[in-house]
Amino acid sequence: MCLGVPMRIVEINYPAATAEASGVRREVGLHLLPEEEIAVGDHVIVHVGFAIEKVEEGLADEIRRSLNEAMGAADGEGSGA
Amino acid sequence: MTRLSVEDLTERIHTLTPGDRTVRIMNVCGSHEHTIAFSGMRSLLPRNLELIPGPGCPVCVCPESDIINAIRLSKRQDVILVTYGDMLRVPSREGSIRAGGGNYRIITSPFEAVRIARANPRRKIVFFSIGFETTTAPAAAVLESGVPGNLYMLCSHRLTPAIMETLVRDAETGIDGFIAPGHVSAIVGSDAWNVFPAKYGIPAVVAGFEAENLLLGISDILARLGRREVRAGNVYGRVVRPGGNVRAQELMNKYFEVADVNWRGIGSVPSSGLELREEYGGRDARKVFGLGEVKEEKIPGCICGDIILGRAYPSACGLFGMACNPQSPAGPCMVSVEGACNIWYRTKKDRGNLPAKRDFKTEGRFIT
Repeated sequence: MCLGVPMRIVEINYPAATAEASGVRREVGLHLLPEEEIAVGDHVIVHVGFAIEKVEEGLADEIRRSLNEAMGAADGEGSGA
Repeated sequence: MTRLSVEDLTERIHTLTPGDRTVRIMNVCGSHEHTIAFSGMRSLLPRNLELIPGPGCPVCVCPESDIINAIRLSKRQDVILVTYGDMLRVPSREGSIRAGGGNYRIITSPFEAVRIARANPRRKIVFFSIGFETTTAPAAAVLESGVPGNLYMLCSHRLTPAIMETLVRDAETGIDGFIAPGHVSAIVGSDAWNVFPAKYGIPAVVAGFEAENLLLGISDILARLGRREVRAGNVYGRVVRPGGNVRAQELMNKYFEVADVNWRGIGSVPSSGLELREEYGGRDARKVFGLGEVKEEKIPGCICGDIILGRAYPSACGLFGMACNPQSPAGPCMVSVEGACNIWYRTKKDRGNLPAKRDFKTEGRFIT
């Protein structure tokens, strides 16, 4: 639930946006980031459907990798939302 | 900055760790504990350096009273309770939300609560909104964007800095340094932890979630031991700014106010939670449904309270892995993938050993 997921913004209709991670698209809120600071192609950390901060692409990949390791180990136990 | 290897960082930590005493460094984020446990990091570090999981799991600290109120609300014909998946299985003396079989829906974002409210105009939708700053800011954002009149909130939001300050005063835990949480810090800013070095002489360093970054954070904490500093450190500067996310802070402040609240297994902690402000009382499920406070009942044998306070490791619990496991959790720390007991259980299953390969005297309790 508290996990931050890095996603790439693919469409913006501020404050609504569509973001993508590992081929999955999701509606994301940009309410917590100023409109002028965010553009299509940017990477963001998403918590419960809201982008909380912008990150550079390299870091997004690193976070995704460690998240995949962690969640691979979760083995379906406990339903993190 | 050149990136240091795991070997370099481990060596640096060995050099920096004082040899004459135990050093206790606490993390307050489930994702940090996850990396620490699954990387096997503890076995690489000096034996007298303790990495202690603290109150890093919002599911674990949600008071039993709120769980019971949520269960009771879900059983009302006019209500649909919506909340994050982890909350459904949290045990209470009245069972869990899922076991209660009432009207409930799982959401992954506060947006979905709004959608469900719009789709069910004749029902009262109660959003059981829990979490630290990373979920509080989204909850505030959704209120700001306008919500339908049939949406109410049962808020159980908690403030990370406040509980950390309580822990500092707890002599039994005896903390020497904090690994400050990465994404909570993105919201509150690394300056939110300045109080620990400035007021208590305890270093705090914000770290990210990779093993290398955590090791860097730990070595930074050790380097700061004994120094008089006024600012917290930050090795996750690529995401976390000193002042944090100002817009998020403004939104939280607009809708919520600081209150004395209960933490499961701990009790009341002054100024450690957020409630809806008076002017939004019409959305506050506690007021609208006249919810009372139910006195917490201790779960027999469960030491989740001690684990959250950093007084004991999960392996010190007599229920751990047997009477309490992720499929049938007896205590709250076994429910969520962010809970210390859940993490330690899965580490053992995955790797065949507990995160810390040590013989803990007094059955895993810290020696003070």
